[in-house]
Amino acid sequence: MTHNPQIECIGVGKTLPSGARTLTILEGVDLSIDAGELVAILGPSGSGKSTLLGLLAGLDRPTTGSVRLAGNALEELGEDELALLRRARVGFVFQSFQLLANLTARENVLVPLELTGVEDAAARADAALDEVGLAERGHHYPSQLSGGEQQRVALARAFAPRPAVLFADEPTGNLDSDTGTRILELILDLRERHGTTLVLVTHDREIAARAERQVHLFGGRIERDTGTAAKPAPGPARDRA
Amino acid sequence: MSRWRAILASVLRESRAARGRLVFFTACLAIGVAAVVGISALVAAVDGGMREQSRDLLAADLRISARRPLPDALQTSFAAVPHVRADVRELAAMARATSRSDAEDTSGTTRLVELKVVEPTYPLYGELVLAPAQCTTADLAEGTVFVGPELVAGLGVHVGDELDIGGAHFRIAAEIVDEPDRLDFALTLGPRVFMSFEGLARTELGAGHNRVRYRAGYRLPGMGRGELTALVERLRTELQDPSYLQFRTRDNAQPSVRRALGRVENYLGLVALLSLLLGGIGVSQIVRAWLSGRTQSVAVLRCLGLRARQIAGMYLGHVALLAVAGCVVGGALGAALPPLVRVLAPELFQGSEAHLWQPLAIVRGVGLGLFVATVFSLPPLTAVWRVSPAAVLRAEAVPLPVPLVVRVGAPLVLVLSVLLSARVQGGTWWTAASFSGGLLLLVALLYAGARGATALSGRLPRGRFGPYVEHGLAALARPGAGTTGAIVALGLGVMVVVAMILIEGQLDEALRTALPEEAPSVFIVDVQPDQWDGVRGTLDTRGAEAIDSVPVVMARLRAIDGRAVSELATEARADRRATWVYTREQRLTWLTELPADNEVTAGAPDGELWSLSGTDEVSLEVDFADDLGVGLGSRLRFDVQGVPIELTVTSLREVDWQSFGINFFLVVEPGVLEEAPHFRIAAARLEPPAAEFALQSELASAYPNVTMLRVRPILEKIANAMTRIAAFVRALGGFTIAAGLVILAGAVATTATSRAREAALLKSLGVTRAGVTCLFAIEYALGGLVAGAIGATGALVLAWAFLEYLLELDADVRLAAVPLGALAAAVLASASGLSASLRALRARPMETLRG
Repeated sequence: MTHNPQIECIGVGKTLPSGARTLTILEGVDLSIDAGELVAILGPSGSGKSTLLGLLAGLDRPTTGSVRLAGNALEELGEDELALLRRARVGFVFQSFQLLANLTARENVLVPLELTGVEDAAARADAALDEVGLAERGHHYPSQLSGGEQQRVALARAFAPRPAVLFADEPTGNLDSDTGTRILELILDLRERHGTTLVLVTHDREIAARAERQVHLFGGRIERDTGTAAKPAPGPARDRA
Repeated sequence: MSRWRAILASVLRESRAARGRLVFFTACLAIGVAAVVGISALVAAVDGGMREQSRDLLAADLRISARRPLPDALQTSFAAVPHVRADVRELAAMARATSRSDAEDTSGTTRLVELKVVEPTYPLYGELVLAPAQCTTADLAEGTVFVGPELVAGLGVHVGDELDIGGAHFRIAAEIVDEPDRLDFALTLGPRVFMSFEGLARTELGAGHNRVRYRAGYRLPGMGRGELTALVERLRTELQDPSYLQFRTRDNAQPSVRRALGRVENYLGLVALLSLLLGGIGVSQIVRAWLSGRTQSVAVLRCLGLRARQIAGMYLGHVALLAVAGCVVGGALGAALPPLVRVLAPELFQGSEAHLWQPLAIVRGVGLGLFVATVFSLPPLTAVWRVSPAAVLRAEAVPLPVPLVVRVGAPLVLVLSVLLSARVQGGTWWTAASFSGGLLLLVALLYAGARGATALSGRLPRGRFGPYVEHGLAALARPGAGTTGAIVALGLGVMVVVAMILIEGQLDEALRTALPEEAPSVFIVDVQPDQWDGVRGTLDTRGAEAIDSVPVVMARLRAIDGRAVSELATEARADRRATWVYTREQRLTWLTELPADNEVTAGAPDGELWSLSGTDEVSLEVDFADDLGVGLGSRLRFDVQGVPIELTVTSLREVDWQSFGINFFLVVEPGVLEEAPHFRIAAARLEPPAAEFALQSELASAYPNVTMLRVRPILEKIANAMTRIAAFVRALGGFTIAAGLVILAGAVATTATSRAREAALLKSLGVTRAGVTCLFAIEYALGGLVAGAIGATGALVLAWAFLEYLLELDADVRLAAVPLGALAAAVLASASGLSASLRALRARPMETLRG
């Protein structure tokens, strides 16, 4: 199989103004993630995990360095082009679910599909809800659903447009351990079924252990990357087992 | 198509949780839309009625009028046109009740009346309604008159009683109930009296009476609009001096009233627009507060790949949907105004009830309301562009820059839209530009004042005013409190209303006390030269003071520097004032010295008004000279009743018209006009006012051709008319205050959640409900106080400038308006703010804190 980087970042850094000083969140991050790969980004609080995820997904822009997503250099794209790229390729799952409170579960899945002009939006939304086992709860509002159910709606919303890459930011962080485990299984199952590249941010080593590759962040730098032993990042093409 | 359906569907979904927003949105817009629709519908209803009754208002298809007898050539011109002609003559005269015989007249048995001399064919259209009802114009014999109800009331006379008019006795045959060609709300000199031409011949009101209007009404059976226009054009070319004649056709009856109506619509329309624009500020506030609570949703939508403009479009759709509700409510309220006014002031309406329903006015108001709501929500909607999708990960994500086109475009569109709305309401671009410019300036000042006040409130030293006031002061300066917008809106409302009250009060007072101490209180006109000694004697015996009298020669201006005035008048036909200045009956007098209220501003070197040069000289009032387009050295040729006279302008004068003395536009050098036919005009002062009635009666019986005008009642009439207009504007100004209060309440309500949390926290810390209420009341009152103080100060400046510069009155600066305005605004603001916080105040602390 040919090496096929879905995401590549070279020398990425991010600083934020903090009063009179600037705060360095990330520094000199090089990373390459292939299509279909499952990568966990690990690290303690404040290590820059979520920031890195935002940069990889084109939600935010790096202060230095360059990010390529699906062959597009993100720094060359405008806000609208980034939106189009996200619409076409990227899905998200967040720790705090981020459902729109005034839409029902079904509408939360349906609206993005409709607004982005997907032909069979209604059918896809229903299928997606079915996949996460919430076909019967579509008419409920987020406030009427449990945390696990809300996260399942978020998963349905994320997978419904069939994204090439899914970014998940602590997807089980707001859930109890049983529910968290079930949600994780569901994510992995969906990923398997749709062949999606999955970038998972977590501070939970157990969850990270389920990933085939782990990237450890510390103080804004990559401390260890279990993929780099065989595959220097960024490196020459290599065959993936 | 499905994309649009999706957007519409998402708009509807977004509207689900919008009940609270909906109430304030509706209130903000409904007030302004009601004002716009109401004014527009009212004017259209009055105008529609007038158009419907147009032929009746003219009592003819075509009416020709002039200040001199109509040319005989008219008969030749109409020879080939089938027609019925009805002549009418209108003049002022004195009517004295002879059946009452008070020995010394103090209450008044004499009145100045507007005499209308008619033929039996009058009216050609419409109906002269009389009481008793069986009476018609045909019953107007040579010895009878019909009189208006004001005369019946004023003189205490009845049908069958006798009147002395112009030296002849007349019996009152009927009372006038309705006269077709007279508008009830027109400003008149006195009550109406109808008389026949035979009756007029019996009086002494013939030659020498100088304010006669001659009219000929024509009924032209089967003549269409085009033919009528063509006929008027033909008459203009056939007749000599057509510019001295006034032509009115049934399609354009009462043009001056309709023009006045148009002006009223424009001015009141702008006042109405002001409350709509304030509503727009409210909309803007609500959208801003609403979006600030939607940052996370916007971030999620952006994450999901929606472009900022799609999200903004979605929210804009939501705004439009909410606006529809407000506009519909406002439209319904406004549409109810004409029927309401018909009940309150039935004299405004002619014609059928159909005119009370004005769908176009509703469309206009609703359209304008939607437009204003949409454009005012654009600037706050630009916030959508600032939300970074990264905000889903980090609340403190750095906001994105707003694209230049959006950042500059939104306020630009807003300003242009205000200009456009003002053009729609105000009628001309100039009016629109001055309105928008003025408004922009006022808003900027209020904004600066509001910002200054809130900043100051944050810096006041603590520990001096007690915890309640200090909490209120701190709340003013709280970030995102939305107080600035509310203060601007409320301040504008206060400014409009206080300015109106100040202007109205001072104008009224100025008009009522307009007579300077030494000003004459009566004018006596049409005194023949041989009557003057007798009139003078009467004045002396009645104890009149400051008697002044000058001869008057009536003339027509024929040429200016060799150019015929008829030519100049034709060129200036579009400019009504210019036409009037050229073709009016010019009154000339001769004087050796100028009266004290005249000041020479040009010419007359060495202080000598008249030089010894061989030319005949004339001195012109400076504004009149401007209107004529002449200056020093210009040559004016007059026709003094058939005799041409050429005069050279040798000086220009400024006249203080407020002295109420006898003054002339044209004063001629002595020795030129003495031989011309003339009459005298006199002015005198009588105290007490009751003495005027006695003089009136005596003059009317001794000199029937002489007319006496009393100054006080005329000024009172004007003052009353102004008061009515001002009351209307003030009522409209009330709409702007209401809009301001709704905005304040809206600003409070949009922060309801944080309010509720604050109230709950305070209660859980042991503050009683009354205590929390007091805290909130003080906070709102402080906002109102700032708005009221700034608004009333602005009103003071506005009213002063208006009175001083536009009306040239000596205006007082009534400083008391500032504390009073501030106090009133504080009370109103406190009441409206508390009513918007009721829910937050009522909630139990636990409910709120648990969320």
